[in-house]
Amino acid sequence: MPREIITLQLGQCGNQVGSVFWQRLCAEHGINQQGILEDWATNGGDRKDVFFYQADDELYVPRSILIDLEPRVINNILTSPYSRLYNPENIFVSKDGGGAGNNWAQGYVAGERIYEEVMDMIDREAESSDSLEAFVAVHSIAGGTGSGLGSFILERLNDRFPKKIIQTYSVFPNTQEGDVVVQPYNSMLTLKRLVNHADSVVVLDNSALARIAADRLHVQTPSFDQTNQLVSTVMAASTQTLRYPSYMNNDLVGMLASLIPTPRCHFLMASYTPFSTGEIDKAKTIRRTTVLDVMRRLLQPKNRMALTVSSPTSCYISNLNIIMGDVDPGDIHQALLRIRDRNLATFVPWGPASLQVASARKSPYVTTSHKVSGLMLANHTSIASLFRRMLDQYDKLKKRNAFMEMYKKEKMFEDGLEEFDNARATCDDLMQEYKACESPDYISYHDAAA
Amino acid sequence: MTPSFPMLDPLVYAYVPAARTNESIKNDLAAHCQDILKSHIGHKTEVNHTQLMDLVKRRLLQLSPNGSSVTKFSNLIMRLEDQQVLSRKQEAILFLFTLSSLSTQQATSIPIPILSQPSPTKLIADTAPSDSSASKLESTQPNAARLAKFRAQRGVPHLNESLLVRDTLYLLQGISGKYARFAISQTNEKTLIFSTDPKAVVTPPTQALIHRLAELGYLYSRIDSFVRERENAPGVGMIEQSLCHYLQTQLTEYYRLIAVLETQLSSTRTNDASVMGEETGLSLRRLDVWVNEWRLRMRMMSICVEGAKDSHGGALVNLIHSYTDNGDPFVRKFTHELLEEVSRPFFATLHKWLFSGELYDPFEEFFVTADSSLGHIPYVHPSSLPGGISQLSGDAIFENSNPDSEDISGLRENGKKSWETKYRFRKDMLPLFVGEAFGKKIFSTGKSLNFIRYSCLDSDWVVTREKMSNNGGSLLYGDIAGLERSIDTAYQLASHRLFEVFIDKFKLLDHLSALKNFLLLGHGDFTDQLMETLAPSLARPANTLYRHNLTANLETAIRSSSAQKDSVDVLRRLDARILEYSHGEIGWDVFTLEYKVNDPIDTVLDHEAMEKYLKLFKHLWQMKRIQRALDKGWMRVTGDARNFIHLPELESEWHKVRIVMAEMIHFIRQLEAYCRLEVIECSWKILIDFLNKKEGDLDALIEAHRTYLDRTIKKVHLWHSRPGKEEVLLRQLMEIFGYILQFREAMDNFYNYCLSRSAFKDQAMDAERGVYTGSSKGEVVDSEDALPGLLDRVKEYGTAFSDRVQTLVHHLQVHPDLDCRFLGIRLSFSDFYRPKKELHAGAKS
Repeated sequence: MPREIITLQLGQCGNQVGSVFWQRLCAEHGINQQGILEDWATNGGDRKDVFFYQADDELYVPRSILIDLEPRVINNILTSPYSRLYNPENIFVSKDGGGAGNNWAQGYVAGERIYEEVMDMIDREAESSDSLEAFVAVHSIAGGTGSGLGSFILERLNDRFPKKIIQTYSVFPNTQEGDVVVQPYNSMLTLKRLVNHADSVVVLDNSALARIAADRLHVQTPSFDQTNQLVSTVMAASTQTLRYPSYMNNDLVGMLASLIPTPRCHFLMASYTPFSTGEIDKAKTIRRTTVLDVMRRLLQPKNRMALTVSSPTSCYISNLNIIMGDVDPGDIHQALLRIRDRNLATFVPWGPASLQVASARKSPYVTTSHKVSGLMLANHTSIASLFRRMLDQYDKLKKRNAFMEMYKKEKMFEDGLEEFDNARATCDDLMQEYKACESPDYISYHDAAA
Repeated sequence: MTPSFPMLDPLVYAYVPAARTNESIKNDLAAHCQDILKSHIGHKTEVNHTQLMDLVKRRLLQLSPNGSSVTKFSNLIMRLEDQQVLSRKQEAILFLFTLSSLSTQQATSIPIPILSQPSPTKLIADTAPSDSSASKLESTQPNAARLAKFRAQRGVPHLNESLLVRDTLYLLQGISGKYARFAISQTNEKTLIFSTDPKAVVTPPTQALIHRLAELGYLYSRIDSFVRERENAPGVGMIEQSLCHYLQTQLTEYYRLIAVLETQLSSTRTNDASVMGEETGLSLRRLDVWVNEWRLRMRMMSICVEGAKDSHGGALVNLIHSYTDNGDPFVRKFTHELLEEVSRPFFATLHKWLFSGELYDPFEEFFVTADSSLGHIPYVHPSSLPGGISQLSGDAIFENSNPDSEDISGLRENGKKSWETKYRFRKDMLPLFVGEAFGKKIFSTGKSLNFIRYSCLDSDWVVTREKMSNNGGSLLYGDIAGLERSIDTAYQLASHRLFEVFIDKFKLLDHLSALKNFLLLGHGDFTDQLMETLAPSLARPANTLYRHNLTANLETAIRSSSAQKDSVDVLRRLDARILEYSHGEIGWDVFTLEYKVNDPIDTVLDHEAMEKYLKLFKHLWQMKRIQRALDKGWMRVTGDARNFIHLPELESEWHKVRIVMAEMIHFIRQLEAYCRLEVIECSWKILIDFLNKKEGDLDALIEAHRTYLDRTIKKVHLWHSRPGKEEVLLRQLMEIFGYILQFREAMDNFYNYCLSRSAFKDQAMDAERGVYTGSSKGEVVDSEDALPGLLDRVKEYGTAFSDRVQTLVHHLQVHPDLDCRFLGIRLSFSDFYRPKKELHAGAKS
């Protein structure tokens, strides 16, 4: 029972991040560019079958489906050294190749057009799994394909596989300097699907990524590659315990169960430290990594991959630290005590919550310059500020009804634009719920609503 | 005779009347006097009066410490001073003083007499010390002769001394003589009885002297009889044999002395006719001097003999050793020699034990004894080895062929038992010169070697032994420092070897990891898989479980998890079993994993330890079960409830369920994390650190593992150290687990209710649209009444759970164990479970 996870790479961003992610997994599991397991990698104590399956010729093939409406990124992948890694049957490129034109509606409508073909791939992958646990979608919510097509697929996946977990790694746009003018619309429309049809969303805020790149890597304008590496590092680390099983956190359900107490508040922030050159090009080296250092850095807001504004009342709903490397159990114990003594993390008042620490093995095949690295997945109420910002941007645009024509052109908005208001309401609800989480009255949250 | 001293002759005549008739005596004495006069005595005339007085007084004090003679001397001097006749008073005193000092000097400087040629000068010197007062220049001989004559005249014949000497020589050999013989008194003590023959009266002083001499005879006979007794007796220990040998050689020496004395005596007798006879031959006093040293020796030997009667082996060595701390160099030397000899068999045994792990001790003299009740385990000598091995391997085959046989439990104990009880340490038999710490080291070294050899059947053994023997050299009593060095090296080598054997050959570490991975659920994916496949059957009554079903599932779980990478040897030991069950128990209560160990690993992983592992498994497995139930529940309340239930009016109920659920998930995950991190991993680290050091012996290894297990089990079970309260927290924990499961059930009921309500609603909506999708109206009406009941139960269990956790946390916060207290911190990391009082206070303020 490998508890397989099927990855869906959607759109330009999704496929770029995805391709880095797979490169990374290959390196960690000792699988080469052709999918052949290296001789020295036979006994790593790892589980490759969560993310890979073995083809008839023993080659390891990623359980991944690559979907895009324009051929550029996928063509790049197919001309890269890793081109033979993927199952060619799992690659979908829209025949017309026109893309979604950064239009959510265009992507969503395209979804209906290509539904059969894509679902075929997903079904095939799902059926070849023994005990499929989850779908992981990687996409950006700003553009057209990742957001529009992504939203469509989320809805359909949820409908078709209601008992499977749907997790997304969603890249949120940089609200300050987005390159797509309609990204507030696209984001808002996608966010509604993320709220309603995903079980867990790992928020990767482009503005935070840019800031981390600037801080950690000393690059003012980080390349796509670098930010993609940041994201894929987080993805790999958050699945570390699934791929290197130990006592706990061997399944996604368990991890999410501890992170997400109520179904709508499932937007997780991630932090990762330290980034080393092995993971990211030109990373600044961090000399000392003790467990306490790592855990403390993980708690620092500046390391979070979501740009949020904390208020005095904002707090953690839950927090899971995955500490990777050869760690003395006593160190974790000490670090926990210290963090509690210093009150470095505040938690929700309506239920017990604590800093959960999972220690995971590191891949023996990837050498890093530091002993310990850590990933934090946290459910923090300050994420509300991100939604607030998105709402503001959206409102600014919507007030003027700017750029509405391109949406109206699509069939689904011909009859009206209630969907926009609907999405806004959902987002507002979500923000309110996160706000409510900060109060002890959250227990009776729905009483008030009802 | 020199003419320059014409005055001497009258002086001699005056003092020694016998000299008047006997020319030779006169000449002798005159010559002696001349010698004195010619000597340098008196040259130191410068000595002043007071100084001289002081010297004399000091001398007198030396001779008789009570000071009476000093007063006497002072009186005499006073009277001497009053005498007007004498002119050279001071010189006279000096002369006498010098004389007295001369004689004592000579007497003390007598070496052990050379028997063949006693010189005449020494003869006089010999007699001199026996004088009561040295100040008189007077030989006792003539007086004695006169006394004899006098007695003869009185008709009381004084027995000729030579006869007595002969008798004494017999006495010295423990044989009764003519005039003095041994008799056995009522108290079984030998006493000396003198002849009552009136013709042979033995004067009391002589009697006393003979008595003194006869002591040797008495001691001799005791020692001799001891040696003889031991010579033929069966079951005499080697140390005793060695003691006997030493005594025998000593006795031979003694015979030699007696023989020499006897020849001396007979030569005296042949010379009897000669004038000098009496003086040159043996006298009782001379005999006394000759045998003086032997008396001490005999006493020592006799003490050893006495000791040997009640003690045995090492204790005997101990007894002898206790005399080495003696100020008397003679005693020290003697005992040292004796020990050197006597300890030889001890050291031979020690050598064997220390370097080959063989206990060759047929007479149980060593401080290590073997338990003969474990007869089938070879422990004696290589000669018995082939049989022993075949028997042992026979056992192994037997065990393999009948894994379920009753005898297994007996055999299983063997490893541990053979290690723990095969040899015993006997403190009373441990030689003191070894010291207890070293004794223990020796004990454990040999034990380790023996264990390596017989229980582990280590073929590399020869190499190791050679290495150790070379380092060891030979062991001797004289070289205690070397001995300690050898022991240390041997100990280190043996314990190191034992570690190597256990870790490299028998893969102890693999087994320990396997136990940790399987029984302590370290292989998380394996556990999950096993639980996933077993869960449906475990929920059924225990009597519906089938072992083949369990083992098949186990097999699957291994194959589909990372456990498949484990070695075949580890996996074949793994088994799934159904414990004994009673009525009403379900599969969860009786299922257990089992890990089978055999010789010699079961020395460390003994039955007791395995029981503890099973206990731990049961607890951890239950925890895992709860966690799994909650994870499934979470899926239901978050995902499924969202997807299938569209009942906005119950949304707030669901919200509450979710919040309780979150609390439960938090609880179980913190508990599990605590068990894993603070308890198992930390204990494991201590154990591994110990193993990596490779110090200490098997006992230390067993102890380390026991500590590991005990620490783990205590902390996992939240063991309270206060008597009577040990399991209070464990019971609370079980109660909490119970509530969680009940909550899950209530929640499922609620869920099912909502599901049917939702379906009904959908149907109603469908019907509105004119689509008929089946009807179950009746059911739903019933269900609607059930709702409050369902919710009540959910609430009840949720509240009960919360209350119990609150109580548990409070107990944990004051728990004596630091780690358990930390669990309290973990559970209430955000201070959620603050005491209610504080909460109220907080609310008021």
